[in-house]
Amino acid sequence: MTDTTSRFGKPARIFQPSAAQPAPIKSTGAYAWLRQNLFSSALNTIVTIAIVAFLATIIPPMFNWLFLDSNLSGSTQADCTGDGACWVFIKVWLQPLLYGSYPDGQIWRINLCLLLLFVTLAAPFWLPHRMRNKVDIAMLLVLPFVAIVILDGRLLGLEYVSTDYWGGFALNLFLASASIILGMPLGFLWALGRRSQMPMARSICVILIEFFRGTPVLALFFMGSVMLPLFFPEGTTVDKLLRVWIVLTLFMAGYMAEVYRGGFQAIPQGQYEAAASIGLSFWQTTLLVILPQVIKVSMPNILATAVMLFKNTTFLMIIGVFEVLSTAQNALTNSNWLGGFSTEAYLFVGIVYWICCFSMSSVASYIERKLDTSHRS
Amino acid sequence: MTNATSSSAKGQGSAPAFYNNPHNRAIFYQVVLVLVLGYFIYTIINNTLINMEDRGIKTGFDFLTTTAGFDILMSLVEYDASHTYFDTFIVGLLNTILVSIIGIFFATIIGFIMGVAYFSHNWLIRKLSVVYVEIFRNIPLLLQIFFWYFAVLSALPNARNSLSLGEALFLNIRGFYMPKPLEEAGAWVVYAAIVVAIIGTWLFLRFAHKKQDLEGTQLPTFWISLAILFGLPILATLVMGVPFTLEYPELKGFNFRGGITVIPELMALVISLSIYTGAFIAEAVRAGIQSVPKGQTEAARSIGLKEGKIMKLIIVPQAMRVIVPLLNSEYQSLVKNSTLATAIGYPDLFTVFVGTSLNQTGQAIEIVFMTIAVYFAVNMCISFVMNLFNRRVALVERK
Repeated sequence: MTDTTSRFGKPARIFQPSAAQPAPIKSTGAYAWLRQNLFSSALNTIVTIAIVAFLATIIPPMFNWLFLDSNLSGSTQADCTGDGACWVFIKVWLQPLLYGSYPDGQIWRINLCLLLLFVTLAAPFWLPHRMRNKVDIAMLLVLPFVAIVILDGRLLGLEYVSTDYWGGFALNLFLASASIILGMPLGFLWALGRRSQMPMARSICVILIEFFRGTPVLALFFMGSVMLPLFFPEGTTVDKLLRVWIVLTLFMAGYMAEVYRGGFQAIPQGQYEAAASIGLSFWQTTLLVILPQVIKVSMPNILATAVMLFKNTTFLMIIGVFEVLSTAQNALTNSNWLGGFSTEAYLFVGIVYWICCFSMSSVASYIERKLDTSHRS
Repeated sequence: MTNATSSSAKGQGSAPAFYNNPHNRAIFYQVVLVLVLGYFIYTIINNTLINMEDRGIKTGFDFLTTTAGFDILMSLVEYDASHTYFDTFIVGLLNTILVSIIGIFFATIIGFIMGVAYFSHNWLIRKLSVVYVEIFRNIPLLLQIFFWYFAVLSALPNARNSLSLGEALFLNIRGFYMPKPLEEAGAWVVYAAIVVAIIGTWLFLRFAHKKQDLEGTQLPTFWISLAILFGLPILATLVMGVPFTLEYPELKGFNFRGGITVIPELMALVISLSIYTGAFIAEAVRAGIQSVPKGQTEAARSIGLKEGKIMKLIIVPQAMRVIVPLLNSEYQSLVKNSTLATAIGYPDLFTVFVGTSLNQTGQAIEIVFMTIAVYFAVNMCISFVMNLFNRRVALVERK
């Protein structure tokens, strides 16, 4: 210290670096991600460990049951010897589950109808821009009737297949599509009527919409099967599937009308004024200006309603329509397959349904994200 | 009409022709609509009357006072085969209300937990919530009911090998058994204490609110109200020397006797309804929380609110505005979906009344409309309560 004393008698200040601080905690990379998302606090760590332990006890036995111990080969119940799932059951019952009891040689007709449905749905992507609306809407509206002609077969000179033999997952798909296709325009009419200035038209539409939205769908089906036959003139018998189709269409229309109502509310008044100022008539304004915007705004809800209707077609088994769930129940009570394969059956139907509904829901949330222009979160 | 006459009176000469006047057209369209609809309804009624006469179906509500003559699996009020069809209606109605209330209770709990879990800091919990919502929302409810009823609950052991918890709770293929509290003398004091506790909590919360408004001091409202709400009934129970005895279910022969029995049909229905509706409620809660702009959280942080206070005072009140209307429609759809009970034989209104009673009497129109009216009424009640609640959380704009 003495040699560093300055001439004023005070110690000179010498630069002494303080100890280096540790490097900041990494905020990128796998380790940092783990720390932030799984182990950020003591509670989080405990929760993470608990969940992982839970999954570790659940997943391996499930995996074994589903794949490792499962039985795939064979064609009778006796072939299911392992402890795992009996996929033989699904293999044997696959055709009834998908196509119902439609005759073996005629299944191409169902496949043709499915193909037509997908072609029509995909049409906007390959049709020239000018023709899209006119052609595709016409195709959609004609499709249910074309499909009925093909499946029925009498008009085309094919083997006649009565509706008693239609069934399986294809029937769910057809009934849902046919009622969505007809229910959407009908619902739009009802929604227009609800907005109308005419008091009679408005009250009739309100009653229709509220009735079909407020009644449990099962009660509607019962009305379709118990009460609707009483409404028709004496001696006429209306096919059960046709009655179901009518009920489903009206049900869809009620829900769609409510969806469109939300869409209408999102259209600014300026759109009507602008359309009026260039001299468009009511129907021109509605169909060319308002409808496209309403559909765009309410697309997520339209898809959600379609998913709901598609799921609700399973309720038809209660009134004795041979849709997929009813076929599954039939298979489970078949005297050759009494080994208790309910888990396999429900799992299969559930997965098939889930794939269809999840893809529709995903499209809905994709559109929702794309349309969302707010700057939130 | 008034427009047409006034404009022609001004002598502009541009009055539209009579048939082009929108007012006249509207009347014309409506007259046509009413005529068509009237003719349609007339035909239907006419056809129905002819058809019913042909098939020998009686009309009117006389059947309600005749003896039903069938037993019902589960009943909340006294019922046996000698009661009338009106009694079956009441039994079914009560069973529907029971399953709806329990279902709504659990669906709300599951839905809120899963909806909030979407915003957890823990990645696993976030993903768990997404997986839950996406799986159960996209599988038909009927399939889920069947899965729980035929695949899970029928795989339970028989009565002798029941799963049990502390010799009080038993779970087997015949149902779920739990002890039943039987009241003794003095039980009314406990009930009174519960009522007093609820009123006291309400009064205390009002007092605390007023105190904060006047003086700015905050009381620990949560803990104090919790203490009142639970402390008072517990105290009353202890003071009265526990005026309750528990009746335990006991294995006698092949089945359990005593206690409260929850039949497997009810269990399957409640489990599947609450899990299915819970997924939709979780989605509503998520949408509600996401609808609150991030700026709100940031503004709250900048004035120094703690995270818990931000959630309670800033996020939740604003999110509830979005959540409550959605909850309303989810609750209504749960009640409507409870009609699926008929698929597994739970004796709800639909199974008992539209199922068995309709089959026996054949009076489809009366029965179906009575049933539909009930569902409308129940849903209106839900709507009424939720709208009251909505009015409390709705945005109050400056006047």
